[in-house]
Amino acid sequence: MIAEGPLAEAFWRHGRCEACPVIDMHGHMGRWRGIWFPRPSTEAMIRTMDSCGVRLLVFCHHHALFAPDVGNDANIEAVRKYPDRLRAYMGINPNYPAAIAADLRRYDDHPGVFVGLKLLASYHGLPWDHPHFAPAWEFANARRLIVLGHTWGGSRIDGAEQVRQAARRYPDVRLLLGHCIHGAWDDAVAIAREFPNVHLELTAVPRYRGPIERFVAEGLTRKMLFGTDLPWFDPHHAIGAILSADIRDDDRHDILHRNAERLLGIADCGFRIADFGLRIKKRKEQENVTSAQEPTP
Amino acid sequence: MTNDLEFFDACACIGLPAAAPVGVPDPPGASAEELLAAMDRAGIAKALVWHAAQRDGDPLLGNDLLAEALAGRDRLVGVWAILPTPCGELGDLDEWLGRAMAGNVRAFKAFCEQGRYLLRGEVIGDVVERLLAARLPLILPVATEPAWRDAYDLLAEFPELTVILTDLPSWGADRYFRPLLGRYPNVHVEIGGYIVDGGLEALVADYGAARALFGSNYPVMPHGGMMLTLAHAEIDDADKQAIAAGNLQRLIAKVRA
Repeated sequence: MIAEGPLAEAFWRHGRCEACPVIDMHGHMGRWRGIWFPRPSTEAMIRTMDSCGVRLLVFCHHHALFAPDVGNDANIEAVRKYPDRLRAYMGINPNYPAAIAADLRRYDDHPGVFVGLKLLASYHGLPWDHPHFAPAWEFANARRLIVLGHTWGGSRIDGAEQVRQAARRYPDVRLLLGHCIHGAWDDAVAIAREFPNVHLELTAVPRYRGPIERFVAEGLTRKMLFGTDLPWFDPHHAIGAILSADIRDDDRHDILHRNAERLLGIADCGFRIADFGLRIKKRKEQENVTSAQEPTP
Repeated sequence: MTNDLEFFDACACIGLPAAAPVGVPDPPGASAEELLAAMDRAGIAKALVWHAAQRDGDPLLGNDLLAEALAGRDRLVGVWAILPTPCGELGDLDEWLGRAMAGNVRAFKAFCEQGRYLLRGEVIGDVVERLLAARLPLILPVATEPAWRDAYDLLAEFPELTVILTDLPSWGADRYFRPLLGRYPNVHVEIGGYIVDGGLEALVADYGAARALFGSNYPVMPHGGMMLTLAHAEIDDADKQAIAAGNLQRLIAKVRA
């Protein structure tokens, strides 16, 4: 049965757990050049989420990251179709600064769609501190947005040093280290401990024995976020690996949903996701009122 | 049905790697005792086991260490590393194979990248001919593109050989392995590294469940990931059981001792 405990038993018996609605903080969508995906469509991904008990997926469509001709429209379309199951990161491709500026200008035109930004610097070939990224960082910092950045050990583009610089320079960005600076676990631990705004996103990490237990033992349980790269990786694989880890069920609840609920401002994922778009819209209206009351220069 | 699945792990390792990446896995290796304890915790009945020294140190030392560790442990079935024959390192091949079989070895593995040899008839043909005659599986790690090319070369020359492709890269490898499954009836995929969403279901639909073998890649990977994936795959219960254990049991039962 994989491991001991009520969560392992529930997932083993049913493939999901009502008391533990999973939030996946790192997804994609659509086809991509390097892999044949059996289930790349929005509908197929929702079906996978249903079977694995994934209540909400925060994703960035492959087109938004790899097809500048299409850009973020694919994100908007998918969330509009499944507003109770999906939220998007706005994809930022630093090779197209004009497109970034245009996308950021229309960020507010889509309430309830975006929770923040997604950086994939290693694939785009420019480091996090490149000037083309600066408008996106400043935009996110000013609004306290989530930024999910692909991070990889040893990379000069999005490795530990770039992460440290960004975390220090943009303290109000809620920075998710996608893949936890993969392989550079010591750096991931040190940075997550040093910077309150940094979180550890676990895509591709649970498949190895050790890092999950290490992060929990370092006191970082409340900074760990579940992710799968869906449609890349089967959520059951990552869930099963986390169930295998030598940690407590309370830690697993934090990793699988509670931390994401806190980050997204969702008190109870199972019942409140549908209200999320309304909450965003309401906040925007409040911000507009506040803005209108401010004195003009 | 899920709760009744019996597992026979097609890919487990004992021994200490020469240079595991820092922190992965942690601890870096497992003894036979530790492997059995982990199998007990996860609910895995048996495992096909190789030794880290076969890959990282001396294949022949690794074979000996494995034989020593597996003696008297019936739940663990051995995998021995092969070597090219022109250098004479394996000695008398029939005697070498006889020792392997006596030590409950039921599959062989080619670490050709680390051993710096090619998977071609003039290099390992003498060994492969004997594996064919005894219906013994040859396990081929295919984590890199050169390894896939080696696998393609070998199967073109020995199309009837029973092969288990293992160490699949985490990025979906369908474009590499599907042509082999389509052309060679005795090729199998150990699914421990094959975690692309919906991949297992598609593999079963297109090639049948008989071509897939459950593997954990323990101790690099935890047991639970692929166990949960297989337990809740959208395939028949009979297919799940075949992948979990039945297919490997069948391959081993076919071996002519």
